[in-house]
Amino acid sequence: MKTATIGPAGSRVSFRSQGWITVVVVVAGLLGAWVLLNAVIGGRCDQTCVVGSLAQALRLATPIAFAAFCGVMCERAGVVDIGIEGKMLMSAMTCYAINLFGFQLLRDSMGAEAAGSFSRILAVCLGAGSALLLALLHAVVSIRFKVDQIISGTVINILAIGVTGFMYRAFLAENLPAGPGTFPIISIPVLADLPIVGPILFQQKPLTYVMLLLAFLVQYVLFFTPWGLRTRAVGEHPRAADTLGINVFRVRYVNVLAGGLIAGLGGAWFTLEAVDVFNPLMTNGLGFIGLAAMIFGKWTPFGALAGALIFGLGSSVTSTVSIFRPDIPSQIPQMLPYILTIIVLTGVVGRAIPPAADGQPYEK
Amino acid sequence: MRKTIQSVSVLLLAGLLAAACAAPRPAPTTGGQAAGAKLRIGLVTDTGGVNDKSFNQSAWAGVQKAMAELGAEARFIESKQPTDYEKNIDQFATENYDIIITVGFLMGDSTAAKARQYPNIKFGIVDYAYFPTEGSPSCDQTIKDCYDDGGLKNITSLMFQEDEVGFLAGVVAGGMTQSNVVCSVSGMEIPPVVRFVTGYQNGAKWINPDANALNVYIPSFIDPAKGKETGNSMIDQGCDVVFGVGGNTGNGGLLAAKERGKMAIGVDVDQYETYPEVRDALLTSAAKNVDVAVFDFIKSVKDGVFKAGVNTANLKNGGVGLAPYHDWESRIPDSVKAKVQEAINGLKDGSIKTGY
Repeated sequence: MKTATIGPAGSRVSFRSQGWITVVVVVAGLLGAWVLLNAVIGGRCDQTCVVGSLAQALRLATPIAFAAFCGVMCERAGVVDIGIEGKMLMSAMTCYAINLFGFQLLRDSMGAEAAGSFSRILAVCLGAGSALLLALLHAVVSIRFKVDQIISGTVINILAIGVTGFMYRAFLAENLPAGPGTFPIISIPVLADLPIVGPILFQQKPLTYVMLLLAFLVQYVLFFTPWGLRTRAVGEHPRAADTLGINVFRVRYVNVLAGGLIAGLGGAWFTLEAVDVFNPLMTNGLGFIGLAAMIFGKWTPFGALAGALIFGLGSSVTSTVSIFRPDIPSQIPQMLPYILTIIVLTGVVGRAIPPAADGQPYEK
Repeated sequence: MRKTIQSVSVLLLAGLLAAACAAPRPAPTTGGQAAGAKLRIGLVTDTGGVNDKSFNQSAWAGVQKAMAELGAEARFIESKQPTDYEKNIDQFATENYDIIITVGFLMGDSTAAKARQYPNIKFGIVDYAYFPTEGSPSCDQTIKDCYDDGGLKNITSLMFQEDEVGFLAGVVAGGMTQSNVVCSVSGMEIPPVVRFVTGYQNGAKWINPDANALNVYIPSFIDPAKGKETGNSMIDQGCDVVFGVGGNTGNGGLLAAKERGKMAIGVDVDQYETYPEVRDALLTSAAKNVDVAVFDFIKSVKDGVFKAGVNTANLKNGGVGLAPYHDWESRIPDSVKAKVQEAINGLKDGSIKTGY
């Protein structure tokens, strides 16, 4: 039956059922949160507050979703990547530095506004590039030299903490010039004016839009293109794929590198979209939460996005509950995202099965 | 060939790991005394690190002052996670440092355990007091004094009355708010943070009985993104003065205030100096002079007058206080400034209580 699930027909069927689950999860999550919220805070959260919380949930879900897409790309090809956290941290640091110093260099020749936009875009590119370098390290070590992928990922996390901590201490901690700030909010014409949906989906900053588009793109690539078919074949049964003439190593390299770029975009979110500062360890474990979202979404991009949204929603509901009910011990709302996850995981999602060759180096 | 490449890659990995591991970094020493007489000081920071623009940084500043003025030799180690605390203390202890300073409430248990293990080293801990009545795991309730009776004969706790300076911050906030809603973006719910927040809320209500004070605790001190989003949520609820109490997490709250054109109040140090990005919004900062307390502690060891127990810094002895208003000097009405002075006097003579 394994061949059926990776065949084109099989994949469409499984994708369709997956899509339904995703929709159910999202709707159930939203409704559940809404009912819970109103019960707990006694209806004091008006429409502005609800819309604000949902828009915030989408923002907080963005880095988690990027991390999860990186995980999906890698693991669908059979490479476990627990170094996402490190890649995001490296990218966050690089983006911050490039944005700051690029702006200084360009401001005189281009004017502040143009220099700001240019340096931010440059920062995203180079930040993603720095994550790509780490991904390359992971790829070479785990694909070429067949080192245990968990070890390689751990090394990347530790390396990123060391390098970013050092760079921060050496160049980014004190006496800094003023930077150009974060990306501005981009309102999509017409759509942004829609009631409720507009402020939630269409008045966000650019990387959030990129994340949403990427969900569709990765879903399309993985399930509707020959490359995606090969990727999944390599992740399920590399020997069989090799026999059919697929270059297993090439597929794995490309997917790990593409995952690195995506993780780099996630890192850029921290210092170019969320806040305009960098501090050590600022990714705060979201790379690992992204992996949880990936498992939650059964290794599909849409599912991973749903998982990320539930974490984001849990996080924003936490602050809403804390604001309106200071009498509830703060630890209880802080547990919400995790309780929500357990309920949805056990009640709705069910068993998640990883790609069969996930984490196994391929020996030709 | 293949074997060679493999062994080289293993070596490379090992090298990367070694490079990434935190080792104490030597800091330039300025003292001119003979090497034998030099006091050796080790500082173990919390996860915020020595550049946290906040109390870890301030503690290190106190140590640096001791290096310059007392001819001490000092290093720091940054804790990456709570499991590092004991390991990092051990590192200094095994190198026979004279003084080990640990920064932060979360290091309370580790510091007590290590102080018992190394009775010849003098420990100073910022923000943690060992009271038997509070059920501290490091000294039981049958004894009267954790420090002498309880065996912690070599620890001085450097405590601060954050509630007093938090109260003053609240008076400024309550006096300046247009919307009658003030708020605080707080880090982990631990006593020093709770003291700040309680003082702040009561201070705002003292000057402005109509003021509504919102607060959210966030279980991290290194999450500015979450801090900013939480600040945004409270600004959505009408808050126009944001007090950021929680290292980098609180800094996110200050940034939210700045971006939304609201007012902000910093914490621990004068954040006008340490976080220039938010200067436009910064009314003042609720400062605790960790550097002074740390320096005085080191000096007491140097002068041979070390005393185990709790040293409390408060408004009366100048250990805590509001930072200057800087850019807001001319925009804060005299009536508010007068109320702040009234609160200072009241807190000093005990006629006003912070409610903590």
